[in-house]
Amino acid sequence: MPRFIIRRLLLSIPVLFGAVLLVFTLARVIPGDPCIATYGEKATESICNAFNIRYGLDRPLFEQFIVYLQTLGSGDLGYSIRFGRPVADIIIERLPVTVELTIAAMIFAVVVGVTLGLVSAIRRNSPVDVGTMIIANLGVSIPVFVLGLFLAYAFAVLLKDTPLVLPPSGRLSPGVTIPPLATTWGLQDLAGPPRVLLDFFSGMHTFNALVTGNWAGLGDAMRHLLLPAIAVGTIPLAIIARMTRSSLLEVLGLDFVRTARAKGVKDRAVVIRHGLRNAMLPVVTVIGLSLGALLSGAVLTETIFGLTGMGRTLFESINSRDYSIIQGATLLVAVFYVTVNLVVDVLYAYLDPRVRLS
Amino acid sequence: MSRTPRRWPPRLAALIATAALVFTACGGTTATPIPTADGGAATVAPSTPDASFEGMSHPADGEAPCGTAPYTGNIKKITATDQNTVVFDLCASDVAFLSKIAFSAFGINDSDWLTEKIDPSQNENQPIVSEVNGTGPYRLTAWNRGADITMEAFPEYWGDKAIAQTAILKWNTEAAQRLVELQAGQVDGIDNVGPTDFPTVEGDSSLQLQPRTGLNTFYVGFNNKFAPWDNETVRQAVAMGIDRNRIVDNFYPPGSQVASHFTPCEIPNGCVGPEWYEFDAAAAKQMLTDAGFDFDQTYKIHYRAAVRGYLPDPPVVATEIQTQLQTNLGIKVELDLQDDTTYLDNADEGLLDGLHLLGWGADYPDITNFLDYHFGAGASAQFGDKFDDITAALAQGAAGADDAAREPSYVTANELIKQHVPMIPIAHGGSGVAYRADVEGAHSSPLSNEKFSVMQPGDRTQFVFSQNGEPGGLYCADETDGEALRACEQMVESLYSYETAGTAVEPALAESCESNPELTQWTCTLRQGVTFHNGATLDANDVVLSYAVQWDAAHELHKGRDGSFTYFSALFGGFLNPPAE
Repeated sequence: MPRFIIRRLLLSIPVLFGAVLLVFTLARVIPGDPCIATYGEKATESICNAFNIRYGLDRPLFEQFIVYLQTLGSGDLGYSIRFGRPVADIIIERLPVTVELTIAAMIFAVVVGVTLGLVSAIRRNSPVDVGTMIIANLGVSIPVFVLGLFLAYAFAVLLKDTPLVLPPSGRLSPGVTIPPLATTWGLQDLAGPPRVLLDFFSGMHTFNALVTGNWAGLGDAMRHLLLPAIAVGTIPLAIIARMTRSSLLEVLGLDFVRTARAKGVKDRAVVIRHGLRNAMLPVVTVIGLSLGALLSGAVLTETIFGLTGMGRTLFESINSRDYSIIQGATLLVAVFYVTVNLVVDVLYAYLDPRVRLS
Repeated sequence: MSRTPRRWPPRLAALIATAALVFTACGGTTATPIPTADGGAATVAPSTPDASFEGMSHPADGEAPCGTAPYTGNIKKITATDQNTVVFDLCASDVAFLSKIAFSAFGINDSDWLTEKIDPSQNENQPIVSEVNGTGPYRLTAWNRGADITMEAFPEYWGDKAIAQTAILKWNTEAAQRLVELQAGQVDGIDNVGPTDFPTVEGDSSLQLQPRTGLNTFYVGFNNKFAPWDNETVRQAVAMGIDRNRIVDNFYPPGSQVASHFTPCEIPNGCVGPEWYEFDAAAAKQMLTDAGFDFDQTYKIHYRAAVRGYLPDPPVVATEIQTQLQTNLGIKVELDLQDDTTYLDNADEGLLDGLHLLGWGADYPDITNFLDYHFGAGASAQFGDKFDDITAALAQGAAGADDAAREPSYVTANELIKQHVPMIPIAHGGSGVAYRADVEGAHSSPLSNEKFSVMQPGDRTQFVFSQNGEPGGLYCADETDGEALRACEQMVESLYSYETAGTAVEPALAESCESNPELTQWTCTLRQGVTFHNGATLDANDVVLSYAVQWDAAHELHKGRDGSFTYFSALFGGFLNPPAE
């Protein structure tokens, strides 16, 4: 296992380099000038000359790439053209939004999806089975922006004066604040990687409120997280439900399950302990892929619900030709996918001893 | 002589005391009443300028090299002559000076604050970009990146205190979602109502719509150096042959208007003089025939795809105009879509030989920003040869600062523009702002600088407004987007300001700015008793440094979010000590 992990990590280096090179090139190939994207009709020649010199865009492409690799090697992701701030700061600020949304969405998708799949498999061809699969199909079919807008309108406007009302956007209600962990714990002077880590976790409002005992803030943050989590998690939910159903049906038809039943093992134990565990292998793969996709940022959901996460940041950066953020965010996505794939593979071996990592 | 002290008679003592009080009250300079929160007025004896005050000037020695390359700016020198007086010396007259200094980019910062919050050793990540210390009715509480900007009422504000104790500015890029937030009661006001949502807002009794006429103009331009557009009768005929109402009704959002003049009417003197030609296709076609127009030739409409407030759907509008020219006048036209990055240059260099579609959005609300920029002596070659009579009228109009006195010149200018038809003004692209119905004082501003401090959000103490996007920074000297300017305007003030919901300028941090007859020297007297949010007192050096750090590219504090200070360069002509190109 350790050798496998090390080899995979080493193999990820050329993968990441390829991703960096590809994004660097593509960002500069797409039509549009960053100066004009920034200043519009106020972009005079002198302004753009100064702009290009300031951001090194007047240099040959190859030289720009070498400079970028050098700064990357020193752990510097550069400065955002649009915000004039370090890209790393912007990522630390916005990544927690995406991570928090992803975790919430995946919890929703896995819990509900596996449950639906399980029920569907047990009650195969029953109205319950048909019903759950209809829900799954709808989940896959409805565009996420339609679902998001519908959920926001339904819960915020139609149910406005009822106990079921939910906020349509944002992470906290206006006026509600959840102080950073560094402030709450008196660690304002902390610096370096520990501070980066603290700020990252601080940015996840639910986690922050939970560890600091800010129950009002926790409740408010969770209420704001509910609708976007449902919107984003519906597609993975549908896929997980269908995958769980089909995988479980296949496993429940195998000899060892028949043997367990013949030995008098209770049906619940057969399904959960024997069947579901073995059926989870492909489901774990789907969960991993979904996790990677969500971590790259759900642009539409973040836009609709006014969440400034990585997806929306990347989208807006492409629009504004903010090369630094495009490169930094894409590199982050590549790292996510590599990491998630590695974790899934390792988890596979854990779940199924027959799988040998080689 | 008696050893016993003499006692004053009581009545005489009282009389003397009263006289002393009267003389004290009447003596010295006139006390200045300042408004208080309860609407009353407290009088504070004005402070005499501190004799020990060392006034700053920029340049410290000498003055800017007016008219000498590479300097292209119009400011010669800025001097703090005493604690409360700043003198701006200009290279040439500027009738729009007050309109320019009212702009949000020229908010006044405390000089110590500028020194403290701008690090000369670095180009990026300046603290001043995210920290605000203005004089406005609100002060910054927190900028929750990605989420909102929270402000609280400034209790020591010199003017009318903010009504809502807290103001929160948030953002959402989707118009539909901003409307949902408003309908859900999550916010009190939203910017840029979606065009299809106007009826929804108007039909909802819990909401109110405030249309906003855009300070912009979309026009069809001619270059009179190319036939047949060198024929004035042909240009007049085309002007009469385009149904502008149809274009605005079908392709512009609610709140938009057909342009009666080139300049929007919200700008003083913008709509004086005759209105534009009425649509009359038959008469127009007859005029073309009489002028010997060649109907067999195919002409061009040049345009670009960039969406602007004055032109929300360029391909569709271009096609509509093409269709109208064909249908109404029999003119065959082909569309020529040009690259965004080169279109403006081609227009300015007079290279567009057909009709061309372009527009203009106000940089500052003075008629010179519209008429002089396009038809004045310094205008580009976009319309070909200039019309001397128009430039003369505009020069006359720019010679005085009083709007009423300038009016006759602009009546003449608009008459001549209608006669010569260098372009056809089509539309002023509008938009709208919506509020909850219980928001008192709700308004829209043609300049998109709605003032939160004058709005009462029902019985709530918190006013929440949702706009399109997050500000890039809060040091508006170095910002250009409206999202940032709106945030700054609540907290930072300029020497002058624009009236609420309008474009007329009124004194703000300056009680007055008087000019010499040539409009080349403006003397601004600062309002006294003004404090910054950090408790510092406003003085003339703050004004000098606030301008100097933008104006002088070699100044060590000439840094911001990206250091471009675009609006300063655009409105005042260029930087002192510009970098070598």
